[in-house]
Amino acid sequence: MNLVKKPKVLVAMSGGVDSSVAAALLVEQGYDVIGATMQVWDYSQCEVDEGQGTCCSSIDVDDARSVADRLKIPFYVLNCESHFREQVINPFIESYLQGQTPLPCSNCNTFLKFDHLIRKMHELECDFLATGHYAQISKDESGHHLIASEDLWKDQTYFLFTLKAELLSKLIFPVGHLKKPEVRRLAEKFALTNARKKDSTGICFVGSNSYKDFLKKEIPIEVQKQKTGWIKRFPNGDKMIQHEGIHLFTIGQSRALGMTHHEKLYVIKIDPTDNTVWVGAESDLYSSELEVQDCYHLQNWQENEVVDVKIRSTHAGARAQLIKQPSGWKMKFLEPQRAITPGQAAVIYRNQELLGGGWIL
Amino acid sequence: MLDPSPVNTPFYYFDFNATTPLAGEVLALVPDALAHYGNPSSIHSASRFAKTVLRETRQRLAELIGCSPLEIIFTSGGSESNNAIIKSVFFENFPEKNHFLCSSVEHPSVMKTFEWLSEQGVHVEKIPVGRNGFLDLQELEKKITDRTALVSIMAANNETGTLFPIRRIVELAHAKGSLVHTDAVQMLGKRKFSVQDWDVDYASFSAHKFYAPKGLGFIYSKKGKPFQPLIHGGGQERGRRGGTENTLSLFYFNEVLKSRMPQIEEKSEQMKTLRNYFESSVLKNISDVSITALESLRLPNTSSLVIKGVDGETLLMALDLKGFAVSTGAACSSGNPEPSPALIAMGLSKFEAQNSLRISIGWQTTQSEVDALVFELKSVVARLRSFLNKELPL
Repeated sequence: MNLVKKPKVLVAMSGGVDSSVAAALLVEQGYDVIGATMQVWDYSQCEVDEGQGTCCSSIDVDDARSVADRLKIPFYVLNCESHFREQVINPFIESYLQGQTPLPCSNCNTFLKFDHLIRKMHELECDFLATGHYAQISKDESGHHLIASEDLWKDQTYFLFTLKAELLSKLIFPVGHLKKPEVRRLAEKFALTNARKKDSTGICFVGSNSYKDFLKKEIPIEVQKQKTGWIKRFPNGDKMIQHEGIHLFTIGQSRALGMTHHEKLYVIKIDPTDNTVWVGAESDLYSSELEVQDCYHLQNWQENEVVDVKIRSTHAGARAQLIKQPSGWKMKFLEPQRAITPGQAAVIYRNQELLGGGWIL
Repeated sequence: MLDPSPVNTPFYYFDFNATTPLAGEVLALVPDALAHYGNPSSIHSASRFAKTVLRETRQRLAELIGCSPLEIIFTSGGSESNNAIIKSVFFENFPEKNHFLCSSVEHPSVMKTFEWLSEQGVHVEKIPVGRNGFLDLQELEKKITDRTALVSIMAANNETGTLFPIRRIVELAHAKGSLVHTDAVQMLGKRKFSVQDWDVDYASFSAHKFYAPKGLGFIYSKKGKPFQPLIHGGGQERGRRGGTENTLSLFYFNEVLKSRMPQIEEKSEQMKTLRNYFESSVLKNISDVSITALESLRLPNTSSLVIKGVDGETLLMALDLKGFAVSTGAACSSGNPEPSPALIAMGLSKFEAQNSLRISIGWQTTQSEVDALVFELKSVVARLRSFLNKELPL
């Protein structure tokens, strides 16, 4: 008889393939596993094709439950609606109203998965929290390190830059060392019902409509009216057309500007002080530096060190020098970067290790 | 001790108000009953078994609740019964009488039906219930008018166990010519009562709260009072509820009634003693606990606790992992508990409602099970409280 107490893991199960396989792997590895789904949004308002690529539909909860049944592990649904509204949805809306482009998945990680669920982990006497993130944790004499996934295409470390260093020793990412096709093969091997389910893409609570429809529905008309202004041509400042609100624009956007023009124009800057949306040529989108505030440090970096910086989740990363500022850091890219967007994060890597990051001003 | 869970053994069940386990003494009879497939509406002899089951169950129920067999209408359960009665009164009376009254702590199958009625132009008002469990009878008396079609007030609250003074409510309502319905789903098997003593016009019941299967319930509809069917069909239940009867559940229910009806008073006392023992044991062992509606007359099996500083949702999970099934309020199909609207309506704060835990015991609950629960509750509450107001990483 094995008298050693099995380590206990709380695994966040979205109903998707990755977290399902994560749970199955943990069971296979001999952990005592408890599954939990965070219900973050009232599905009845969510116009999504169920199970077709978001992490918040009711079918997804059913999928998670059926995987938990298959694995014979306890499973609970956590009501996180008000938490999610406060920490993710409201900042998401506020960010757009300030002319920025928010990163809700990062907030969800910061405030729900790696705060609320960490609390639940302790409360339920678990030793670890596991998720289906494509990210890896390595350990050496200097401590724990957050490393990009083996599957660089799926790597999700960008969304994890706010993680607290003390938490790394409590986390397990069971699929982080795998590539997606292997994860699907494992799902088939474990006979999980959702093995062939589509990958989740986009923002879970926005559903199949555009984020603009979501904002129009969520923001009171009066508030939206206060955000109307002019689209102006960069650099001369010619007024081109009036727009319906700065929250409906994002840097780099070239379609749905509400006008026709003989050259292709891009949103290059949004000024919340006078609600001006500046448009210009594609070349105007490029710039060589950015500044971040509210920096998060998983590891230290040197002043003037040259590192890899990702400025959005789909960005391949670019070399940049880190220059200390009175508050925050300036990042000087060796080559100009397209569409540096306030509200997104600039995340710092040394080789494949995530060092930290901050919010782009 | 039960073992309904694939995950946790042993398993202790303290959620009898949500549903009850099937009476064990009937299980052995089921295989033979399954062989009787006849439709009770048929004329040929294959229908005899089902006809007998229907007749016997109806007779026993009439005896149990104190009415005539003709006043019983079988349905699919408590929710259908509530819907059928309320909508029947609406169709009978609207628009002449367009005023409906209920308490602020009714079951969702009553509340949501009234919400729907409001959308049809009916005026619905809720009579407040205090945190001590008392219904405001003066307010009720003031609100009833000659335009009031129906007063619908539950006999016993599912969350706190509070018993409402149905007899008095009926006197007030009948004096103004209003009909009275009571949702009596929580009553069966917990306490002796009689619809005749209550003098109500309609009452709703459910079989699975009394050790019988789900999918079966019944309505008491007083002779001479109007009743329009919710489900039209082949003339079953004297045209008051269409659809082939749930004969297997009826068979089970009939056998449960046969074996358990004579024991109700004794079991009621037994549960009351055990519930009181549980409450005094909790108060002795765990600090900062209060019992909601303690001052009111209550069902003998129900205890609604507010455990300060402990989130009910987390407490429920932690206890479940230890093999104890409890509830944070009404059972919810999504498995996603919101703070109970009934407790909030009684004046508990959102925090108090979130810190609430419902324990409901049954006929087979033993003192050693209760001891085990209090022991585990004490340790889980202490652990959860130790994390209070602490910053991560804890």
